[in-house]
Amino acid sequence: MRALTFMGTLPRMLLAALALGATVGFTAAPASAELVVVVSSRNPAPSMSADQVAAIFLGQAGRFPDGAAAVALDQEVGSPQRDGFYRQVTGKTPALLKAHWSKMVFTGRGQPPREAPGDAAVRRMVADNPSMIGYIDRASLDASVRPVLILP
Amino acid sequence: MTFPSSRDAASGLLAKTDHIMLPILRSKHVPAALPVCAARRVRVGVKAGVLACGMACAAWAAGAEQSGVPTWKLSGYGTLGVVHSSERNADFTSSVLRADGAGHTRAWSPDVDSRLGVQLDVAQGDWSGVLQVVSEQGLDGSYRPQLEWANVKYQPTPDLALRLGRIALPVFLGADSRKVGYTIPWVRTPVEVYGALPISSSDGVDATWRWNIGEVRQATQVFVGKANKDLQNGLRIKAEDITGLSHTIERGALSARLSAASARLDTGIGAELFGALRAFGPAGNALADRYAIVDKRVTMVSAGLNYDPGNWFVSAEWGRTRTDSLLGDGSEAYVGAGLRVGAFTPYAGYAQIRADVPTSDPGLPLAGLPPAYAAVGGQLNAGLNVLLSSIPVQSTWSAGLRWDAAPNIAVKFQLERVRPREGTRGTLINPQPGFRSDRALNVASMALDFVF
Repeated sequence: MRALTFMGTLPRMLLAALALGATVGFTAAPASAELVVVVSSRNPAPSMSADQVAAIFLGQAGRFPDGAAAVALDQEVGSPQRDGFYRQVTGKTPALLKAHWSKMVFTGRGQPPREAPGDAAVRRMVADNPSMIGYIDRASLDASVRPVLILP
Repeated sequence: MTFPSSRDAASGLLAKTDHIMLPILRSKHVPAALPVCAARRVRVGVKAGVLACGMACAAWAAGAEQSGVPTWKLSGYGTLGVVHSSERNADFTSSVLRADGAGHTRAWSPDVDSRLGVQLDVAQGDWSGVLQVVSEQGLDGSYRPQLEWANVKYQPTPDLALRLGRIALPVFLGADSRKVGYTIPWVRTPVEVYGALPISSSDGVDATWRWNIGEVRQATQVFVGKANKDLQNGLRIKAEDITGLSHTIERGALSARLSAASARLDTGIGAELFGALRAFGPAGNALADRYAIVDKRVTMVSAGLNYDPGNWFVSAEWGRTRTDSLLGDGSEAYVGAGLRVGAFTPYAGYAQIRADVPTSDPGLPLAGLPPAYAAVGGQLNAGLNVLLSSIPVQSTWSAGLRWDAAPNIAVKFQLERVRPREGTRGTLINPQPGFRSDRALNVASMALDFVF
């Protein structure tokens, strides 16, 4: 792989990215809405602690507390649901979360969860798959999914 | 202490073996003709073999399941860094495997921290493969990419992962991720702890098992393998029978890692010096047996702790390395902490490495030898002590600021006060005649870390 040829163009790309980052700024997502962590209504999992939920979403645990396999489903990068969820459940900002997953990916330990666009898509995928766990705005709850943790 | 200048060595054998004046691992001579190394055949092609295996197995893994399509992913990381050092008589650098650094070779060096890593992942069902190459300055001064990771993973259950191929050794708190600058708060992992690991990768198998004790998550990783690294200067470093254990404990914001690794190490570093010493009979043989890196058992143990609730963090680690050779035995420790204020993370830390063996040796007894022999013996003793002075004793205070400038980019500024101690050159390389130990140097670093 000719990595050296990358080195020439990279600084320019990075400077451009840097300038963009500085212009857009770093604004904390409001995420005022209440979030609920949900599983399929067919999943018998009992309610969970924030630490248990965090472990699944950070790739540190692969099972629900009752032992069934668990697969995390994320909202899209930059969405207020996602930023609010990780701030409340893990204390991590988007940058810290990126650092966490960079460490996991570049040591071959795992890949970040799949993403789905918005509450309705997350609810539908979680409802269809008893091993999935996601988070949505409380207002989007319906009978197809069951909350296992409510975030204030 | 003043280091012997190359002028001191301008006569006889030592002048001929000027390479032993070079820091450890940096010897340029070819060992094939030397008695110590003659029996040690270098096995080439392991790297190519692992690469081929990684790709072939990954392709096989990709086809292992009938349903679905394998997912491929290309990602990468890198650092653009520049470092200044106030010590003009030696180079400050981040790894003993560098050609040069900041201070002597250049006032401002881009080679200390700059690197680029590119990774290809493929996954399907329970199988996945990873291939990662890293381009950074090597001992030959080039940025020739090196294969860092190449393995196939099989995950039969959510709690068990088995891998075959090359892994970076999971020793210390973060040796396996230390090259990804974006993942650490500081510009680089402390050089006292991570700068001179005798081995850093293993070609073999490893297993990771995750389990719980109540709310406390445990991950136990065991590995066996071997390594054969081209030092890019005509020498190789070979590790056989690598075995190790890494255990991670996590609860909320707290994580801890205990690790231990062991291997049999062989390399031709200093072979010419040891060959000459052996000509001096039992005393010379004893010195060669003690210091030559031939069939030497190396061990590394460490305990590290990280507490990171989000708004602040503290990280501390202690480790011990045994080599029974000229690489020395050392105890390493560091502690670092920082605050997170919006996109800014000011931090500070302290690191040190202490030698648990003498960093000098009286060498051959010269009394009673004929003058010509005594002269050569004296030069050999001086050469041996130059090698031993590269066993590091050093401490560093550091302070810096990380700025998360964009979602995938961190910019860092760091100031350090580094003090090589007890007559050694610490972790510095390329010491010049005017270099003096026990004198602090100031190091300033800027780095831009990115992931993609």
